[in-house]
Amino acid sequence: MRFGRTSKAIGVAAVAALALSACATSGGGNSPEGTGESTAAAAGGSISVAETNAFSSFNSDSATGNVDINGKIAYMTHGGFYYVDNQLKVVRNEEFGTYEKVSDDPLVVKYTVNEGAKWSDGNAVDAGDLLLNWLVESGYANDAKTDEEGNVTSGTNYFDFAGDTSGLGLTEIPEVSDDGRSITLTYSKPFADWEIAFGGLNDGGIGLPAHVLAEKAGLADEQALVDIIQGLKRGNPDEPAKENKDLKAVADFWNTGFDTKSLPTDESLYLSSGPFVVDSITPDQSITLVRNESYTFGPKPAVDEVTIRFIGAAPDQVSALKNGEVDIIAPQPSADTVELLQGIEGVTVDVEDQLAYDHIDLNYKGVFKEANVREAFMKAIPRQAIVDRIVKPLKADAAPLDSQFFVPAQDAYEASAASNGSGDYKEADIEGAKELLAGATPEVRIMYNKDNPNRADAYALIQESAEKAGFKIVDGGLGASDWGAALGNGTYDATIFGWTSPGVGVSGVPQIFKTDAGSNFNGFSEPAADKLMDELIVTTDSVEQDKLVTQIDKHVWDSFYGLPLFQSVGLDAYNSDRIEGVKYQPNQTGVFWNFWEWKVK
Amino acid sequence: MVTYIVRRLFTAVLILLGASFLVYQLTALSGDPLHDLRESNSPNKEQLIQQRIALLDLGTPAPIRYFGWLAGAAKCVVPFVGQCDLGYALNGQPVTEALGRAMGMTILLVTASAVLAIVIGVSLGIVTALRQYSGLDYGVTFMAFLFFSLPVFWVAVLLKEFGAIGFNNFLRDPHIPVSSILIIGVVSAAVWFVCAKGSYLRKLGSAGIGFLLAAAVMWGLSVTQWFKTPGLGLVVIVICGVAIAFGITLLAAGLKNRRALYAALITVGIGTVIYFPIQELLAQATGLMIFLLALATVLVGLAVGWLMGGYDRRQNMNAAAMTAFLVGGLILLDRYMQAWPAYFNNGRINGRPIATIGSETPNLQGDFWVHGLDTFTHLLLPTVALLLISLASYSRYARSSMLEIMNMDYIRTARAKGLNERTVVMRHAFRNALIPIATIVAFDIGALIGGAVITEQVFAFAGMGQLFVQALDRTDPNPVMGVFLITGVLALAFNLVADLVYSALDPRVRVKA
Repeated sequence: MRFGRTSKAIGVAAVAALALSACATSGGGNSPEGTGESTAAAAGGSISVAETNAFSSFNSDSATGNVDINGKIAYMTHGGFYYVDNQLKVVRNEEFGTYEKVSDDPLVVKYTVNEGAKWSDGNAVDAGDLLLNWLVESGYANDAKTDEEGNVTSGTNYFDFAGDTSGLGLTEIPEVSDDGRSITLTYSKPFADWEIAFGGLNDGGIGLPAHVLAEKAGLADEQALVDIIQGLKRGNPDEPAKENKDLKAVADFWNTGFDTKSLPTDESLYLSSGPFVVDSITPDQSITLVRNESYTFGPKPAVDEVTIRFIGAAPDQVSALKNGEVDIIAPQPSADTVELLQGIEGVTVDVEDQLAYDHIDLNYKGVFKEANVREAFMKAIPRQAIVDRIVKPLKADAAPLDSQFFVPAQDAYEASAASNGSGDYKEADIEGAKELLAGATPEVRIMYNKDNPNRADAYALIQESAEKAGFKIVDGGLGASDWGAALGNGTYDATIFGWTSPGVGVSGVPQIFKTDAGSNFNGFSEPAADKLMDELIVTTDSVEQDKLVTQIDKHVWDSFYGLPLFQSVGLDAYNSDRIEGVKYQPNQTGVFWNFWEWKVK
Repeated sequence: MVTYIVRRLFTAVLILLGASFLVYQLTALSGDPLHDLRESNSPNKEQLIQQRIALLDLGTPAPIRYFGWLAGAAKCVVPFVGQCDLGYALNGQPVTEALGRAMGMTILLVTASAVLAIVIGVSLGIVTALRQYSGLDYGVTFMAFLFFSLPVFWVAVLLKEFGAIGFNNFLRDPHIPVSSILIIGVVSAAVWFVCAKGSYLRKLGSAGIGFLLAAAVMWGLSVTQWFKTPGLGLVVIVICGVAIAFGITLLAAGLKNRRALYAALITVGIGTVIYFPIQELLAQATGLMIFLLALATVLVGLAVGWLMGGYDRRQNMNAAAMTAFLVGGLILLDRYMQAWPAYFNNGRINGRPIATIGSETPNLQGDFWVHGLDTFTHLLLPTVALLLISLASYSRYARSSMLEIMNMDYIRTARAKGLNERTVVMRHAFRNALIPIATIVAFDIGALIGGAVITEQVFAFAGMGQLFVQALDRTDPNPVMGVFLITGVLALAFNLVADLVYSALDPRVRVKA
């Protein structure tokens, strides 16, 4: 067949035109794709928040998903019985559900989800969900033994729960009410932190939906999972039971099935029972939450949409705030960052205390075996000077921390600080220290993290002051990768490092201060304090708890334990020209704690 | 040749094995993966530590753990059978998945700056070599070294402050004050003065032209509120197109070659004619369509050049195809500018288009052009930062290589036999000057994929550099090894490619088997 030149050209042109029109967008160029979102944005508006770490899992309770940012997403997308406000008080959400202490001895607590509370797929939040959460958080079925290297040698660990199982571990399998909306927990002995043991938003609320897990694990329905849980026996590592295949399937999915950096196509993996539901994710860049239309059981957010963008470094968060790309930031505080932020017009900066605090601990052996040497050393520590050097540049009204247990945000702080004798150690008392030493020149080796400038500064100030009093100070500072492992190994006499106060709850107290406890690195042992702590962990009344902790605080100070130095400083800043309602919060939830109050002006 | 390549590949594997072992050990030793937990006073501290130990398999000594990793990585090499298994990151994400994503981001970030750095750097180098020891040469050398010695994090911060925040503020009311117009005019005058050739008077004259031109353009942009509703319009496209046609013909064929010039001008004419009809099609653009259109544009240029006929058709075709491509680029640019108001007034942009972080505006709704602009506004600053810094090396290499060539005997011979200067420079000198640069480019491409750690950090780009640094921070060896594997393989591969390319380009170099 022969074609003329012209017809060839026409043919080529026709094919080309066809090809081009085939790859055109459907619906024409001026399709009104953008209108939907602009009307939505007009109603409640959208707020953008900067976060340091990138989102990685919809299960913030699992070992791999236990990262701050995942917890914050869970906080916004889950319903729960209570949250912790910025005064570190427990606030109940009775629109979602209620819990009440039925009896004190034995401690019995009943949790009820209100009718109407439901997941975003329409399924009710019910006792099945509570049961599953309880099973995860109590570690009830686990009967594994692990060796030093973390390998399981016998039995089975089901859920890799990142939280503490010691509280709910005291409970037996809960009773489920007939209407299927409440469970009743019976503790084998009184538990001090019962109020924050279960279903709090700060710990991810009522975490993952039981009906989804049942389906993913290949069970018939949610009821099948409920039946399995109710038929369980308490795990006993000494006599491991045969692995429960169905439960293991559920647990395996729970452990890793919700880890994702991008939005799954399967909506059941990110069901919401809270004010927001995840709308889209750009991996490692941003995550967007929109209003959960079926949510009517709790504080209703004022904004329609929250976008969280992941920005690592503080200066970059600041310039993003300045450029209007984000509205709220909470970067790592430093004097430079605070100064930079305060120089921006229309930005409100909150510089407040964090729950983390630095302290110096003295070992109860070696050179510090004698109480008067410890006392002399404590007298020689210039706490005010340390605060002036490290914290004052960020926060003008900073003061030394005067309690080993409370922080100023807590009501009990002032009474405890006034009575524990901390007043004697505000400033360095070189003369007093010299008197106590009576001419002796003990050699003290101080261990700290050399790579942390705050700790190095504190060390330098302490060294200078203590040498004036007659101490010989040996620099035992270690690098960032080594100091942690050296804690409690007896190669030093004193150490400077940080603890984080939980803010609410008292379970952490014996962990540090009880004889031979896991984090008791300096060998503090005081029978009277031990007794008080035994009493503390079975005291369910918060006023009584404060009284006991105040007494323990006094014991600790009286035995010349060491000194708390200062609270770390937290920072948040927001574009107050555009939004309002942002409030500082010292715990790990950060500014998100009252996200429903955020408003676009 | 084949034995040479095989030998090189074999040593490459050995190097990779040794290096990966070293890197694995160094990463494992670089920190304490439990440090945050040691400071914890939560009641379940022991349990958390056990979980972490199990997750990272810390119970096994690092040298032995390495072989576990190696066994997984080896599966990547086995074709068809093996699923690539580079392990999991601490947050439970498979490393292969993280790598794929990070590599995409890095390629997005570095491609434009790499291409621009090569094109601009090499042309600057050639031009300065041709005018050695002139004001232009000194000026460019000074700037190149200045940019080269700037720390990238500082440049980035300056760019954010002025290029993004400052420029966005300016866009609120895009009125250029007289003082700024004058300053820009003076800068332009200085550039023209330095670039001009000839007597002092002539230089002064061109400085004057430069001043007037820049001031007039700035004034025009300000008065017409061009920054609010930018666009080129057909007139500017035609003027620029004709200029491009002359410029390209000058370089590719010489203005004496009338057929080439006419071919180039005809493609400009075709572009002008097609400008209005094509808008309809462009309104429904997709990436594929733009690619096909670009292809078609080049083909049309080639066809026009071929049809012009004459003694040397290739010259016509080159000139016409390049002109067509560039004019097509102008039309594309014009279309992007038409989309600017829609982008600028989008609720998510809110009148502050130039971004300081990330690669896209979350949840931006819009057509192809709006998304294109979004990518542009996000990539602008990091690209400029990277460009400024990599410009220097290319321009220096190109300059020295060109100078060396220009002093060769065969250049003198070419001149002596009466070739005009264009032919001498473009055909005899320029091509040969590119040979050493080709090898440098090959090296650089390998290095680029490794990520620009600091730039990625500052602009919150989740690329290879970020992946590497963050994993190192957590003492999490798997992602570190993943990044190392990619960069190591690429470095070795491009090393080999550079050697082969050199021997292919330069017949004097022979690969000895």
